[in-house]
Amino acid sequence: MIRIEHLKKAYPNVTPLKDVCVEINDGDVISVIGPSGTGKSTLLRCINQMEMPTSGKVWIDDVEITDPNCDINKVRQKMGMVFQSFNLFSHMTVIENIMFSPMTLLGKKKQEAYDDAMRLLRMVGLAEKALNYPDELSGGQKQRIAIARTLAMDPDIILLDEPTSALDPTMVGEVQAVIRDMAQTGKTMMIVTHEMNFARAICNRIFYMDEGGIYEDGPPEQIFDNPMREKTRRFIRRLKVLELEIENRDYDFLGMSGVIEQYCSRNQIPPKTTHRIQLTFEELTQQLLIPVMENPRIHTVIEYSAAEEKTTMTVQYGGLEANITKTGDELSLAVLKSAVSEMTYSRQENTDLPNQIVLSIRE
Amino acid sequence: MRKSIALVLMLLLALALCPTVLADNSTGGVYQSLSELNGKRIGIQVGTDYELIVWDLLPEAECIFYSSYPDLAAALETNKIDGFPGDEPVLKFMAAEDDKLVVLPDDMNPVEMAYVLPKSTEGDRLREELNTWIRSARASGELDEIAYKWIEGPESEKTVPDYASFPAPNGTLRMLTEGAYTPMNYYRGTELIGFEVDMTARFCEACGYGLIVDAMNFDGIIPAVQAGKADFAAASFVVQPERQEMVNFSEPYLVCGTLMTVLKADESVSEGTSFWKSIGDSIERTFIRENRWQLFLQGILNTLLITVLSMIFGTALGFIVFMLCRNGNRIANTVTGAVTWLIKGMPMVVLLMILYYIVFGSVAITGLMVSVIGFTLTFSAAVFGLLQMGVGAVDKGQYEAAYALGHSSRHTFFRIILPQALPHILPSYKSEVVSLIQATAIVGYIAVQDLTKMGDIVRSRTYEAFFPLIAITIIYFVLEALLGLLIRRINVNINPKRRKRENILKGVKTDD
Repeated sequence: MIRIEHLKKAYPNVTPLKDVCVEINDGDVISVIGPSGTGKSTLLRCINQMEMPTSGKVWIDDVEITDPNCDINKVRQKMGMVFQSFNLFSHMTVIENIMFSPMTLLGKKKQEAYDDAMRLLRMVGLAEKALNYPDELSGGQKQRIAIARTLAMDPDIILLDEPTSALDPTMVGEVQAVIRDMAQTGKTMMIVTHEMNFARAICNRIFYMDEGGIYEDGPPEQIFDNPMREKTRRFIRRLKVLELEIENRDYDFLGMSGVIEQYCSRNQIPPKTTHRIQLTFEELTQQLLIPVMENPRIHTVIEYSAAEEKTTMTVQYGGLEANITKTGDELSLAVLKSAVSEMTYSRQENTDLPNQIVLSIRE
Repeated sequence: MRKSIALVLMLLLALALCPTVLADNSTGGVYQSLSELNGKRIGIQVGTDYELIVWDLLPEAECIFYSSYPDLAAALETNKIDGFPGDEPVLKFMAAEDDKLVVLPDDMNPVEMAYVLPKSTEGDRLREELNTWIRSARASGELDEIAYKWIEGPESEKTVPDYASFPAPNGTLRMLTEGAYTPMNYYRGTELIGFEVDMTARFCEACGYGLIVDAMNFDGIIPAVQAGKADFAAASFVVQPERQEMVNFSEPYLVCGTLMTVLKADESVSEGTSFWKSIGDSIERTFIRENRWQLFLQGILNTLLITVLSMIFGTALGFIVFMLCRNGNRIANTVTGAVTWLIKGMPMVVLLMILYYIVFGSVAITGLMVSVIGFTLTFSAAVFGLLQMGVGAVDKGQYEAAYALGHSSRHTFFRIILPQALPHILPSYKSEVVSLIQATAIVGYIAVQDLTKMGDIVRSRTYEAFFPLIAITIIYFVLEALLGLLIRRINVNINPKRRKRENILKGVKTDD
């Protein structure tokens, strides 16, 4: 069991991990997903101390491995790591790469190490490459050897840091097949990956990382089908989000229109849809809301799902209950309806901006 | 490819030899008296004061400086200069040996030669003793007798008492001389003899001293005496005021004239000697006569000793320093950076001089040891740089993979990183070794007789400018090739990728 308590990792410019607390059970197969720069790799590298955490503790069973007196080399022998860039020892043949650590660290006899290595090579389907040097192999073959090298130490925990990201698309499958087999063996595994389908297929637990920590932690069904939290949902549905804030009557209307234009062209939203988004925003804020509000404060979120090519706009505003969709100016509402397929009003008391309208932009 | 290189080398050799062989007398101006030389080019040996005399007598002459008499003779024969002045006995010998030269009869300036002693109480005491002996030897006629024997006597009578076996009730004296100034001090075979050696030996015998004589480059002798590297020196030093500021002089032991050497007028130079015959003569003179090959052998041994020891110690030192600096120890890195900067920025001669005269000035240490120390320092700086470069070139992922498997930092470095770095380093290492051999050629400045110094000694006897130099060059090439071969063998042994594949799984049953 791995227990992480208040783990923090800060670099001079960024703090990828602010406060991570989590328990990982024996036999868990965990995928770590999330946008880039959210500390996925850093979390893995703090667990085997490739990066020294700024503060916080990591326990493996009953041993605190962040304790300066802990023999980290001994810990690492039971905790393998597979790298994005393979990192095979380039001056050794494939078989030596696999035999080296068991012989020097575990004191295995050469014959025993060789037999083990050959068994692992057969497992990853590369027994015939035993006497080749790493630079004679393809990327997929190298990564399979790297996995065999990790397994040769018979670790309890295996950390895989984007194992297929550096590979040609044609070679991803062969490596994933090996990892899939490995996941059946009951070892604790953590995989940083961008392959959602793969993660869903082999894992019993997903960490979605964001905001300097594990943002959402749950089984794949929850994370992929029914995410509990907003950013998870956006990430899973590959939502492109734009947030706009209006804080007074004299906001820069043309500037905001420009921001929407930019956001749309960056995400390759079709010109017609772009026009409708701009129209909706303009009618809603400029024509319907601001004229009737004493102190206009409007928060707008535009979400574009690249997967479904759907755009929704959520508009929240302060003040008393005011269902614009019913009470608004007829003409403006008509214009709005030409651009929007669905429009619902709701009110949530005790929040900063209690009025909310959700609009679906027409395709 | 190799054949063509050999051919080109042979051609170069032949071209280099041509000027000496064909010694053209057609263009050389030939002079009968000193006054004809006014307005001409006069060669001067560095460290002498002939310049003043030449300016005095030939105000319009142009002075060009050379470091030794063989160089001056060579310059004269190739018309780089029109004449050069020198001490009477030495020039007469040179003209007798080299039939292209002739000495003009005009005496430019009589000079007094004397011992050079350090300015210290010990030096003053020795000076008194030397003065007393010189006075009595002059009075008894012994000094004249010695001078006659060496300057005009037959070669067969020129012997020196066996000073190495003197009983030394009053201690042993260490004397410095040049060893390249026939007949004052020179080598016959490997034996250092000459007027000054003979005279000093007789003084030591009379006063109950043992004697050790060392030869070193002329312009290094006075600094060495000042630094206390020797008790005194006798190398035909002329008494002059400027030198007296640095060191003390004894009473003069010889008064002689200063003469001018010019090119001979008639074509009595043996014409028609074939190319091969003249090469044969040169080989005979340079290597065989007086067993001079022994000098070269000794020089080769010294050069190799310095090179190989510096290479071994320098590699070890560079490696140790690299290991200390590897983990980013700030003190170690700062010190190493400063020392490396200092050593690499300093001309090697200056470094050797500083080590010899200042750092080890008051320590009894031979020039050979100082050379080894100096070159160890420079070579270790080079090795340090190479290691930094080679180890820095190994991908960071290799460290990560090894650490992640649980290997210690030391284990990772020696088993994973170094084996990958060394094959990258070796080619540059090899060229560092080659430049190390070449760099050792300057150790003559601190009284070490290496190959180059031995070549100079032989040139000072044969007055041949080019052949000994080319012979030395060829020997250097051979030494470099041998060391290169050695390193290439290491290259084969340390490059893991050149192992035979069947050896990788030695001792393992593979047919399971």
